[in-house]
Amino acid sequence: MTAAIRTQELTKDYPVGFWRTRRYRALDDVSLDVARGEAFGLLGPNGAGKTTTLKLLFQLVFPTAGRAEILGRPAGDIAVKRRIGYLPENPSFYDYLTAEELLSYFAGVFGYQGAERTRRVARLLDTVGIESERRLPLRRYSKGMLQRVGLAQALVNDPEVVVLDEPMSGLDPIGRRQVSDLILGLRTEGRTVFFSSHILTDAERLCSRVAVLARGRLMSTGRIGDTDVFGIRGWELVVANVDPVRLDRFRTEGVSVRPIADDRVAIDLGLETRPEQIASELVAAGASLLAMNPLRDTLEDYFFKTVGRANTDDTADRFDA
Amino acid sequence: MSGRRWGGWPGVVAAGCTVLVVGLQGARPSASADVPPSPLYVTSGPLVQRLALSFDALVADIYWIRAIQHFGSTRRSRDPGKQYDQLYPLLDLVTTLDPDFNIAYRFGAIFLAEIYPEGPGRPDQALALLEKGFAARPDRWQYLQDIGFIHYWWLQDYEAAAGWFLRASQVPGASWWLETLAATTLTQGGNRDASRQLWQQLGADADHDWMRQEASRRLAQLDALDDVDRLGSIVDAYAARVGFPASWDEMVAAGLLPGTPVDPAGVPYALEAPTRSIDVSSSSPLFPLPGAPPTLPPVP
Amino acid sequence: MSPSPVFPIAASVFRESVRDRVPYNLVIFAILLMGASYLLGQLTAGQELKIIKDLGLAAMSMFGLFIALFIGIGLVSKEVERRSIYGLLSKPISRAQFLLGKYVGLVVTLVVNVGVMSVALYAVLGYMAVTESEDFKRGWEAPALDPMLIVAIGLILLGLMLVTAIALLFSTFSSPMVSAATTLGLYVAGHFSDDLRHLDQSVDSRVAGVLGRLLSYLLPDLSVFDVKARVVHGLPVPFDEVAWAVGYGLVYIVGLLAVSILIFNRRDFK
Repeated sequence: MTAAIRTQELTKDYPVGFWRTRRYRALDDVSLDVARGEAFGLLGPNGAGKTTTLKLLFQLVFPTAGRAEILGRPAGDIAVKRRIGYLPENPSFYDYLTAEELLSYFAGVFGYQGAERTRRVARLLDTVGIESERRLPLRRYSKGMLQRVGLAQALVNDPEVVVLDEPMSGLDPIGRRQVSDLILGLRTEGRTVFFSSHILTDAERLCSRVAVLARGRLMSTGRIGDTDVFGIRGWELVVANVDPVRLDRFRTEGVSVRPIADDRVAIDLGLETRPEQIASELVAAGASLLAMNPLRDTLEDYFFKTVGRANTDDTADRFDA
Repeated sequence: MSGRRWGGWPGVVAAGCTVLVVGLQGARPSASADVPPSPLYVTSGPLVQRLALSFDALVADIYWIRAIQHFGSTRRSRDPGKQYDQLYPLLDLVTTLDPDFNIAYRFGAIFLAEIYPEGPGRPDQALALLEKGFAARPDRWQYLQDIGFIHYWWLQDYEAAAGWFLRASQVPGASWWLETLAATTLTQGGNRDASRQLWQQLGADADHDWMRQEASRRLAQLDALDDVDRLGSIVDAYAARVGFPASWDEMVAAGLLPGTPVDPAGVPYALEAPTRSIDVSSSSPLFPLPGAPPTLPPVP
Repeated sequence: MSPSPVFPIAASVFRESVRDRVPYNLVIFAILLMGASYLLGQLTAGQELKIIKDLGLAAMSMFGLFIALFIGIGLVSKEVERRSIYGLLSKPISRAQFLLGKYVGLVVTLVVNVGVMSVALYAVLGYMAVTESEDFKRGWEAPALDPMLIVAIGLILLGLMLVTAIALLFSTFSSPMVSAATTLGLYVAGHFSDDLRHLDQSVDSRVAGVLGRLLSYLLPDLSVFDVKARVVHGLPVPFDEVAWAVGYGLVYIVGLLAVSILIFNRRDFK
């Protein structure tokens, strides 16, 4: 079965500057595969090249080298665009149109007419939950609503593959939840979902495999649990009412003990310890266990470790002068 | 990669169209394709023309309106130092912008030569305008006829006038009577009947109301001249016997006239005791009669 | 076989022009025309018909130019600046279809506007034809409801379509300000085509003369679409001249569209 999305040594240089044009390498030799029906996260800090990758899939920009394919057809193929959808980053459309008019317009571009068009638009609005505001012009929409409209326009043609660029950026917790649920819904429907994000927890909730992009290069790919990027490196116990003597003993053992508030403390235990054992010890001694959280590296921690620099956005490096 | 994007069918079409465009320009049908641009005049006509872009005709209209207003208001003005100095430049501008602006040429022909204070009294300007008009439109025999008319009426050069009428008659489509007019002019130039004939034809062929009115007025003036002659001989005879009359009533009382003589406009003629002559009243619309010595416009 | 995406895009251009209050110009045009026809009777020694025709055609030309220019320069650049272009180009529509849709939309806008203005002009002319005396009418060089006016209007429209294509071309790669300046510049230059061709008659340098001639062949010759003066004077406009102008206009427009597509096809939308 052909991959839903495949890139091979995809490279993109941007010319920069007016007279002495230098080249800025936005993507360098990126190869990845997304299988059908998979939910795949493209992760990386800002400036990593995530948006560039997604745009290359739709030939909104042209590759300097390498190639990209969607559903077995080369990127930019008009026929395959009938089967895929795209949500751009921070989508902006025509703010004088209403959501209904916007979706109707795009439906027209696809070639849907008359009753079929009306039906689709209504169903889309219903799916993303913009029913009651569908006659308001888009300029009156909140960020969350705009994001949902953006998702709706990506689904007009009932696509097999949905490509989303930072679908949850700039949203409040409620908005994030709503969008996140919608994406889960897409998964359940069997669509391939390929999205980019710089927030690890989003990826955790939504996708099975991830790729990590940093400074235009692919750092690693694989299942979330498998990669050493996201491996658990320890545990955090949040407890209250612990005997101070016991806390001192932790400290002398080199275990980090951080007071939080009142008498609550967070104890960071290493991977080699048995956190459940220590927890039951403390509880038996009269403490209350409030939380037990796995400790993971953030993306920034990962880059800090592997690349060894304080500043992860060192774009100056990627210019060829 | 980028090489491929430069080609394809849009590139072929663009190249093809470029070739076609250049080729088409070379194969333009209209005669105006290689006509040289209009000759330069002393006026700012060509500059205005360039500024007016494709709105030449509209700008010409604007200047035409101004020309009429200038002429009308100056004529009506009682200012003793009034000038018609804008008239020719405006008409020239109009005809540079729109060489087909027929009425401007005809208007100029009639009124540019009009003796001051009825007009600027510049037959030379009228001739220049008409010649320009004929150069732009060699089918317009009326302009040649008008040139002839100016020579006849204002310059009293009957030989030249006849020559122009003849030339006019040779333009295809010219009025049949031009040849006759040429002949008449040559033999009887200055003769009132020939003049009458000229004005009658001008009036019959007129494009516009005001031309017709002008012709009627001129014909009335010619009639008035006839009247003045006849009245003159009667008055002279009376003056030789009794003395120059103080008023027409005297003559009526003497039974020499049926009533107060009025000119074709209905205004009684005036008895000029100091010069012992008869003329139309200065309040008559026919005043002054042609043949009076011209007054020159004041120096600006 | 689903309908071409060119049509919804064209429709959206037209709708946006209505939203931008372009049709209000038509109201101004109609008022201008009727007011002028009323006043001019007093002023012009029998020339109202000519002046109304000149005014009507010139105003049509000018309003049309404004529409072509101000909408044309933003056809593509507005979408790119708004970043709404991503939403469109990710749909099954080629970049060429996108451009053609925009062009057709503006042409439709022009046709509708010019059409309405033509109707207004004919209404005023019709009124004059009906109310003036027979005597008066003998002085008219061309009938009031002259069918040749349609030829003049048609050529005006074709000229506007060419200016639109120029504006679209610049809109594909430069900002609205630059597009406006260049398009307007070409519009002006297009009317001096004859002067350029005969540059060698007024300038001493041979090089300048050759250059002028070459430019006059390449630059759009907009004077060929201007038969206003002749139509108003009732002078004949030969058929082969009109046919040539139409052919020239269409070829030039197609060429401009092809170049626009060529440029647009290789643009990166960062």
